[in-house]
Amino acid sequence: MRGRGDNRRRLLALAVAVAAIVATLGLAACGDDTVGGGGNEGEVTTAEGGPAKGDLTISNWPGYIDPGKNGTVAEFEEETGIKVDYIEDINSNDGFFGKLQPQLEQGESGGRSVFVVADYMAKQMHDLGYLQEIDHADLPMVFKTLSPGLRSPAFDPERKFSVPWQGGMTGIWVDTAKAPDIRSVNDLFDPKYKGRVTMLDELRETPALVMLAEGVDPAQASADQWLDAIDKLGDAASSGQIRRFTGNEYTEDLTAGNIVAAIGWSGDASLIENENAEWRMPAEGCTQWMENMVIPVGAPNTAAALAWMDFVYRPDVAVDITEYVEYISPVQGVKQLLEKRGSELAESEIVFPTEEFTRNCTGQITPPDLERVNEAWQDVLTG
Amino acid sequence: MSLKQRLVPYWLLGPGLLWLVIFFVVPMYFMGELALRSGTLTTGFTFDWAWSNFPDSLSGHTEQIGRSFLYAGTATVLALLISYPLAYAIAFRAGRFKLLLLFAVIAPFFTTYLIRTIAWKTILSDSSPVVSVLQTLSLVPPDGRVLATSGAVIAGLTYNFLPFMVLPLYANLERLDLRLIEAAKDLYSSSRQAFLKVTLPLTMPGIVAGVLLTFIPAFGDYINAQILGGTGQAMVGNVIQSLYLNQRNYPEAAALSFLMMALILAVVTVYIRFAGTGAFMGDEDDGTA
Repeated sequence: MRGRGDNRRRLLALAVAVAAIVATLGLAACGDDTVGGGGNEGEVTTAEGGPAKGDLTISNWPGYIDPGKNGTVAEFEEETGIKVDYIEDINSNDGFFGKLQPQLEQGESGGRSVFVVADYMAKQMHDLGYLQEIDHADLPMVFKTLSPGLRSPAFDPERKFSVPWQGGMTGIWVDTAKAPDIRSVNDLFDPKYKGRVTMLDELRETPALVMLAEGVDPAQASADQWLDAIDKLGDAASSGQIRRFTGNEYTEDLTAGNIVAAIGWSGDASLIENENAEWRMPAEGCTQWMENMVIPVGAPNTAAALAWMDFVYRPDVAVDITEYVEYISPVQGVKQLLEKRGSELAESEIVFPTEEFTRNCTGQITPPDLERVNEAWQDVLTG
Repeated sequence: MSLKQRLVPYWLLGPGLLWLVIFFVVPMYFMGELALRSGTLTTGFTFDWAWSNFPDSLSGHTEQIGRSFLYAGTATVLALLISYPLAYAIAFRAGRFKLLLLFAVIAPFFTTYLIRTIAWKTILSDSSPVVSVLQTLSLVPPDGRVLATSGAVIAGLTYNFLPFMVLPLYANLERLDLRLIEAAKDLYSSSRQAFLKVTLPLTMPGIVAGVLLTFIPAFGDYINAQILGGTGQAMVGNVIQSLYLNQRNYPEAAALSFLMMALILAVVTVYIRFAGTGAFMGDEDDGTA
């Protein structure tokens, strides 16, 4: 049996502990420290150029370059003597940002010198002070061969902090042997494909395509229209119509034959080992996007990062990348080089979309009332 | 007793306390402090005793919490049903293969958790031989699937946390004094009675330890639901991940984590009370009370 004194001492210890916690919390309340809020604002640095050597770490999405022995990364290493650590650790813009944000807030990039992110994410990172600016003088090849149409996008009119990597379209991947008739996003809601359809977990892709399919222009849509589209997706998710929401993993499901169709990215053929898989432009249009190389704050060896950016803009390098990844190249002259090589990609509407082909497409739109719409979307994803 | 003498036990506790402070108290403090902030990523999160984060973090997420209990609970029961006979066989029937079998239990876990879970995705894919066998046996409907179902998530949890159940059980069974079973039989108990009245009570500490070691990590797991699950199978871990990584609502994510810790603590306390685990807590007298 325990004595009374023992109990009293315990009580006292508990009281002291509680008091200590309350006191420290109180102290924190008095202090004016704030977490987040772009701690690096006002001191925008410019990436330092100069002779490039040493190590370079690049973060990119899977299937976005040939990382093999005879691929583009190896060629760069051989030519410059820079040792590249090329990591394919980006599976979604938001997820990647969420993972790195605490470090970026501290002015660190986790050892990475180049990220590849969508327009809106590059802008968001820039606004929070997480990116370094780029001196055009360090990138002679980029600004010689960059497509004129990409030189002054709305989010970065002077290309101060972003250099396009590849572009693409979001539409429907179809297993033509199993579901040859799917041509519209509406078809993905057909009960006969129940549980055999996946969709992307990106807010600016999936709900936007659903709106397009219902005749709503995402660029003009109100928050309520976004929420309606998200509701429709929520119902389809809870009824089991939609099997999963995915990042790049939909390519695995298509390869394994788990699904007959997916909302997916136009250039992912290199990741899908299924000869019946075909990317289709939805009848009602697609979303179009461009992804950018950016240099984060705290990036080591920015000279090598700049050398990398300039290297991939050499048309002979850019054409290799296009041939491997089958996305839309921002570099002029790639089409001619492909024709010279006799590649049928030169004729591909997916790699060189005409205006006619993309006439109904829209850019990546950030919804109004982002926080509320995103919360509703995340609730669908984790429903 | 001099002051010096009275301080000795605290000095001896020192390393343990220091460990707890650095790896438990300090992180808990930061998490608690974060849970009471409000704001957004762009404006910054300011500390203002925002208790509302706690109810807010629960709203709309009760279903996932219930699901986490169901999945983790089922996985724990399954793991126990698989592990007990397994540990029993290894402890008493394996003879010279004892160590080899024990190694076989642990060996798959030399591979990382993620790779093993992704491997299951391939094994259980819709057109895999495993699934067609299950379909032939009518365990899965002809047009049904295994992947992206609750069953797949529970199976993944069971598999991934199995060694946490097997090892404590084995350690406990191994120490069991077989003469006690012999004595029970001498007193005319059947094998079944001997098991229920002697073996089982004496291995209770192992069961309790195994259940805790399995249930607690399984409850907070999000990998299995993410990789093996589909829509409508997210667990509370997935919600916390989404709050933290995708909505960047750090305070609510911290608040929800806190609430889940409290909930688990409450459940475990009740469980330990009922399971009567004095022995597990190192207090032999209370063990069978």
